[in-house]
Amino acid sequence: MTVMLKKLQQKYARVKDEMVRWDELQSQMLSQFGNGASIINRLQVLNVDKNYDALEVLPGIKETLLGKQIETLEMIFISLTELMKEFHRIVLSLDKIARDANQLLREATPYQMQLCVGTQPSLQQCLDGLNTFHKMHKSEFLLKSSILSSLMLKYFKCSADDVATLRQLLVDQPNIPKDEVQTIFDIILPKVADDGLTGR
Amino acid sequence: MLDMETPLRSSRLTNSSIASPNCISPPLSSCSSRLWRPAAQRNIKNQWSKLLMSKDRWVSATSEGRLHATELVNTYLKRRYLPEMNLGVLTEIPGIREKAYDKLAHKQDLCRCKLISSYKDMVAAVNDLGKASCSMRCYLKGSSSDPIIQYCDHQEDPSDSGDGGGIPVFCCLSISIMEDLARELVNMFERELSLKRFLVIGLLSINGVEDGRKDVLDWSNELYLGEFDELRCIGMLKQDSFYTVFPQIKDYQSSNPLNRTTIKSPNHNTLEVHLATWISDLNINMHRVKEIFSVVEEEMRAKLS
Repeated sequence: MTVMLKKLQQKYARVKDEMVRWDELQSQMLSQFGNGASIINRLQVLNVDKNYDALEVLPGIKETLLGKQIETLEMIFISLTELMKEFHRIVLSLDKIARDANQLLREATPYQMQLCVGTQPSLQQCLDGLNTFHKMHKSEFLLKSSILSSLMLKYFKCSADDVATLRQLLVDQPNIPKDEVQTIFDIILPKVADDGLTGR
Repeated sequence: MLDMETPLRSSRLTNSSIASPNCISPPLSSCSSRLWRPAAQRNIKNQWSKLLMSKDRWVSATSEGRLHATELVNTYLKRRYLPEMNLGVLTEIPGIREKAYDKLAHKQDLCRCKLISSYKDMVAAVNDLGKASCSMRCYLKGSSSDPIIQYCDHQEDPSDSGDGGGIPVFCCLSISIMEDLARELVNMFERELSLKRFLVIGLLSINGVEDGRKDVLDWSNELYLGEFDELRCIGMLKQDSFYTVFPQIKDYQSSNPLNRTTIKSPNHNTLEVHLATWISDLNINMHRVKEIFSVVEEEMRAKLS
């Protein structure tokens, strides 16, 4: 039982690593998205002839400038797509962790599953937590990917407000509520176990 | 493309065999090509390192220029909208608006100076690029009957084209191909320099237009002392008419911008388009630039530094 619990708690250490990686990707994504957003907003200005003012004496300026900006934007889209692949890898890894845990507890009786000793969590709580993390990140991944694909398909129709709204959604990560994540970690890794993990 | 060359540089080029493929210099004897090669290889490596350094210098000068241009624009806009700006409690301080206005004007002057100095750096970088691209050849020094064979960077014997008879310097590329690659680079940067010059003139004149001053810059003005001498070296000053070559975008034909460089209605949008033009490096295909350097590195089997 204790062995089982230890094993599950170790899985949480892996989950934590994946979530740290997720946060890194998230900040990379926001900075790339920010670059893309400023290009998208600029495209509106670049589309209006009278904004060229003195530059109008240069034939080909508008086509070339728009072309270059769109090229840069496409490069940003490519790197965002690469980031999405990384996010997906994390989702798969969280899925595997949860499934492994399930496998590990196949033989456990309902009594063992619910048993709580001292401040330690029950096996069921451990399993539920892992499943919750997987679900959260999976939904968040799907949200991100739909935000990005709508941006990539319709960027030329997006207003500055639209882009700002999409960005806010990316920032908020509504599917991964921070307090809920913290609560799960507090339950699964009460102080003693936490020390054991950091000392690992 | 050709109209950008100076008479000076084109004359330098016609000496070489690439200008007229029919007049290929007689192949060197195996002995002299054996000696020519190491000297030529050393020179080519040096020149390409210089090209790379100058390219990097350009890149840092344009990105600094971009910062100064952006700051200049922002300061201008702040200053312009200052009269309508709601200063809140600060309104009660006597002369606050005037002081702020003067401060911004001072800052704008600073930005103008910095922008010119970045532009000056860009001119120097293009100048170095041009020089290196014209110094690829390796000529025999002294007469061929001398007991010691030496090489130098200038032609002494008119029958010596300095390209080792067109043999590959390293493994497959001859001097003239290396020169073509270098010239392709130089052309991109020269065009971009001319475009940046256009932008600099426009940006430097933004408040002159507002104040209705007569001394706004136009295309024929020298932006700093000695600019025209440097542009002449690069081949961007048409000697007869004393005009710098016209700015252009890629291969689109353009005409003399004269005094049409001034931004008639400087506002948020028009200035944004100017800044976007600055950052986009419209005449430089960075993929191609990278490709050229990597082709040369591969040829030399060495990393340029």
